Amino acid sequence: MRAPGNGLKLALALALAGFAGPAAAALTISAETDRTSVEINENLYLTVQVAGDSSSVPEPKIPNMQNFNSYSSGRSQSISIINGKITTSVSFTYILSPRFLGIQKIPSISVFNGTEKAFTPEIEITVTRPSAAAARPAAPRQLQGRGGRTAAAAAQNKAEGRIFLKAETDKKTAYPGEQVNLSVKFYTSVPLTSNPQYMQPPLKNLIPEDLPPIRSGETTLNGEHYAYSEIKTALFALSPGPAEIKPASVVVQVPSNETLDPFDPNFFQKFMSMSNAQGSSREFATEAVSLNIKPLPPGAPAGFSGAVGNYTVSATADRLEAKAGEPVNFSITVAGSGNLKAVTAPQLPDLQDFKVFDTMSSLDIRKDGDIIGGKKTFTYILVPRAAGRKTVPPITFHFFEPRAAQYRELQTAPLTINVKKGDLDSKNVYFSGGAAAPKVTASDIRYVSDEPRAGFIADSAEGIAALPLWPLTLPAGLMLATFWLSRFNRFKSANPLLFRFHRAKSQANSAVEKITALLKAGDTGAAVALLYDSFMYYLSDKCGVKVSALTMKKAAQLIKERFPAVTPRAMEEVRELWTALELRHFSPSAAEPEGVRNLLKKYSLLITLLEKELRRPRP
Amino acid sequence: MTRLLLLLLLAPVTLAGAYDRGELNELNDLYKNDRFEEALEGYNKIVAQEPANPWGWYNAGNALFRLNRTGPAVFHYARAFRLNPRDPNIRFNLEFALRQTGQALLPDGMPRALHYVYYLLSDMEIKAFAICLFWLACLAGAAGFLLDGAPSGAAASRTAVITAVMCLGCLGWLGARQNSPFAGAGVITKTGGARLLSGPGENFKACASAPEGLLVKVLDSIDDDYYEIGLPKEGVKGWALKTEVEKI
Repeated sequence: MRAPGNGLKLALALALAGFAGPAAAALTISAETDRTSVEINENLYLTVQVAGDSSSVPEPKIPNMQNFNSYSSGRSQSISIINGKITTSVSFTYILSPRFLGIQKIPSISVFNGTEKAFTPEIEITVTRPSAAAARPAAPRQLQGRGGRTAAAAAQNKAEGRIFLKAETDKKTAYPGEQVNLSVKFYTSVPLTSNPQYMQPPLKNLIPEDLPPIRSGETTLNGEHYAYSEIKTALFALSPGPAEIKPASVVVQVPSNETLDPFDPNFFQKFMSMSNAQGSSREFATEAVSLNIKPLPPGAPAGFSGAVGNYTVSATADRLEAKAGEPVNFSITVAGSGNLKAVTAPQLPDLQDFKVFDTMSSLDIRKDGDIIGGKKTFTYILVPRAAGRKTVPPITFHFFEPRAAQYRELQTAPLTINVKKGDLDSKNVYFSGGAAAPKVTASDIRYVSDEPRAGFIADSAEGIAALPLWPLTLPAGLMLATFWLSRFNRFKSANPLLFRFHRAKSQANSAVEKITALLKAGDTGAAVALLYDSFMYYLSDKCGVKVSALTMKKAAQLIKERFPAVTPRAMEEVRELWTALELRHFSPSAAEPEGVRNLLKKYSLLITLLEKELRRPRP
Repeated sequence: MTRLLLLLLLAPVTLAGAYDRGELNELNDLYKNDRFEEALEGYNKIVAQEPANPWGWYNAGNALFRLNRTGPAVFHYARAFRLNPRDPNIRFNLEFALRQTGQALLPDGMPRALHYVYYLLSDMEIKAFAICLFWLACLAGAAGFLLDGAPSGAAASRTAVITAVMCLGCLGWLGARQNSPFAGAGVITKTGGARLLSGPGENFKACASAPEGLLVKVLDSIDDDYYEIGLPKEGVKGWALKTEVEKI
C-alpha cells in the first residue's frame, strides 16, 4: 500500500492543489455518437465525456435503454494542469446495438458528484433497414420471437435432434497475446418456450474479451431450416503451451407434447399445469476446443515488453510553448489492433531538460469487425527545468506482429518545446534532490488499508493510557520515601552525638547479654574487658565526647552540665562502678567470676537509673 | 510482578486482533469490486469492536467517500487521524476530503514541518508517554536519593530531572492539543448540511447553516437532542441536531 515516493507524490499534489485554491467543482457532461443514422444490423459508439476541476470525476449513470443494447467499451482519462489548476476529463465509451427501426432516442444521461448534478440532452438516432449489399441472407431477429407463434406444433423428441450448439475458433494455433475469435452458435429449428440461457465456457490459459452484439439469423443446413444466435468472444492466450476452451452450454425450454391420460391419478394436476408456454428443460453443450499456443520467436529486442498486435505510435504535447517550471502534458499514444490492456508504457529516455512526473494511462477500446483494437495513451507531466528550445527525443516502442511473425520497432517523432523564462510562482513545482523523478498521483483518495491492527506503539499506548491512575502513586511514594531516607541520613551525619545518646542504652544492653554469655563460658577476663569498654562507651555516648578523652572527673562534670537534674546518688553509683571496673580491668587477678557478675548486675541497674535520671527535665 | 505488568500491557494488544486478516481481506475485496455499502457494513463492525483501531475508521471513511458521503467520510478520517496522526495515508485522505469540502488540514501560515511535529503522536500516545516518563522520573529520583552523594546518584538525579522536564513537556503538549481543530470538535454529517438554530429546539429561529463535512467546535452537549456548536472561522455559533453532527 505504501509505495516509495508517496511523500513526494503528496508534496507535489498539495503544491499543485495549492495553486488551484478552494474553487468550487464545475461538473460538466456531454454525450455524442459517432453517427446519427445507423442500420439495424450495425453498431454505433456513444461517447460520454465527464469533466470537472477536481482531481476525480464520478461515473455517469447510463439509463435503462429499451431501444438499444448497450455494452461498455472502455474509458479514457485526461488530466491537464494549466497554471497549477487541475482539470480532469474522462470519456466513457459504449457500443450501442439498435433493436427497433425508426427514430430512436438515447435518453438523458446524468452524473452526480455529491454536490452538483449535470445532464446531457437526448440524442435522436435514425435506425434504418440494412442496405441490400450489406444485408444478411436473413433479417436478424430474436430467436425467442419465433417461439410463441408455432410452439404448439413442435414435438419434443424431434426437437432435441433439431437443437444443437457449436463452438469453433478462427484459428487453432496462436502466439501469446494474439487474438483468437471464438464463435458459439446456437441452432434451433423448433420453437422454444422461453429465452435460452447461455453459460460461458471456462477457459484455460486464455483471457476473454466480449465481441457484442449477439448476432441472430436464419440458415439452412442439410435441407433443414434453422434459426441461430451467435455469441463471439475474442480470446488472448497468456503463455506458450496448450490452451483449452471448455464446453459452453445453453439451457432451453422445449415444448412438451405429453398426452393426458384421463385415467391417470394425477390427471387434474397435469391438466392444470399444462400450458403451451411450458415445456421441459434441456441443456446443450459444445465440444471442448483445444488450442496450441506457440512461443514467441527468439530474438526479442531489449525494449520489448510483451505487446502483441499491429500498432502505430505517436507522441504529442498539449502545448509547444511553456514557461520554465510550468507542467506540459506529454502523451504517447499506441493505436492499432491487439490486446491494448496488456500494453505497457514505453520506456522514456533520460530527459535532462525536464522533470518527469506521473504516468497516467487511458484506454479506448474499439471492436470494429470483431477485431479488438483502439488506442492507449500514456500521459507524462514534463516540467521544463530552464528556458530555451528543449527537445523530447524519439520514443521507441517494440511489439510483435503475429501475422508476419516478426518483432517491429516504431519511433515517435522528436518533439521540440519552446520554453520561456518562468516566473516565481511557477518555480513552486520544483523539488530539489533525488536522482529518481518523483511521481504525483493526487487525483484520488488512497486505497483501503490491509492492516488489521493499530500497531504495536498505538496498542501499547492504548494499554498504558487505559491503566488506572492509582499505580502512579507507587513510584511517587517510593520517591518520597527515598527522599525522606536521604534527608534522615544527612541529618544523622550532621548530628552524630544526638544519635549516639539515643543509641547508648541499646548498645549497653547488647553488651550485657554478651558479657553474661562470656561469664557462662568461664571467660572472666574477656567479660571484664567487655564490661569496662561498654561502660566507657555508654558514658562517652551520653556525654558526647570521645572515649579516649573521658576521665572520671570530666565525665562527672559533663553529666552535671548537660543533665543538671541527675541526682548525687546516681553520680556516686557511676564513680563506684568506674572505680571497681578499673580495678578489675587493669588487675585481672582481682577479677573473680562472682565479683564480675555483681558488677554486671550493678551496671545493669546503673543504666536503668541513668536512663531515668538523664531524661528528667531540668529543674 | 513483571509478568503481570507485561500481561496487563499486552492484553489490549491481544484483544486488538479480535478479527482476522482474512475477514479484512474479504471486506477489502468488496471495496475493490465497488461493493462499497457491503464493505462499509463490515468496516463499521470492526470500528464497533475496536474503536481505537485507526484502520477501521480509515477504511470506513474510504467506503463512505466512494459513496459520495463526504461528511461521514471526513468524520471517519478525522477519527483515524486522531488515533494515528503520523500515517501518511490517513493524513492524505483526510486532507483530500477536507479539500473537497473547502477546508484545509494545515492552518494558514503554519509550516508543514511544525504541523507534522505537532501531530507526531496521538493524544493517547502522548498520555502514555507522559505516564512512562513519570514512572522513569520517579524511579530515577528514588535512585538518586538512595545513592545520595555517590557519582551514580548524581547521574540518576540528572536523569530524573530530564525525564521530569520531558514529562511536563508532554503534559504541556497534551494541553496545547486541546486547542487543535480536532479537540472537542465535530463534523457535520447530514447530507446537504445542517441548520443552526438560535436555541436547542425547533421553536428557535434558524440563524445559520453549516455545509456537510465542515469541522465545527462542540461547545455544549448537555441537551438530549442538540449540540451547541461553533464555527470559529465565521464567528458563528448555534444549535444543531445531534443526528446531524458527529463528535470526533
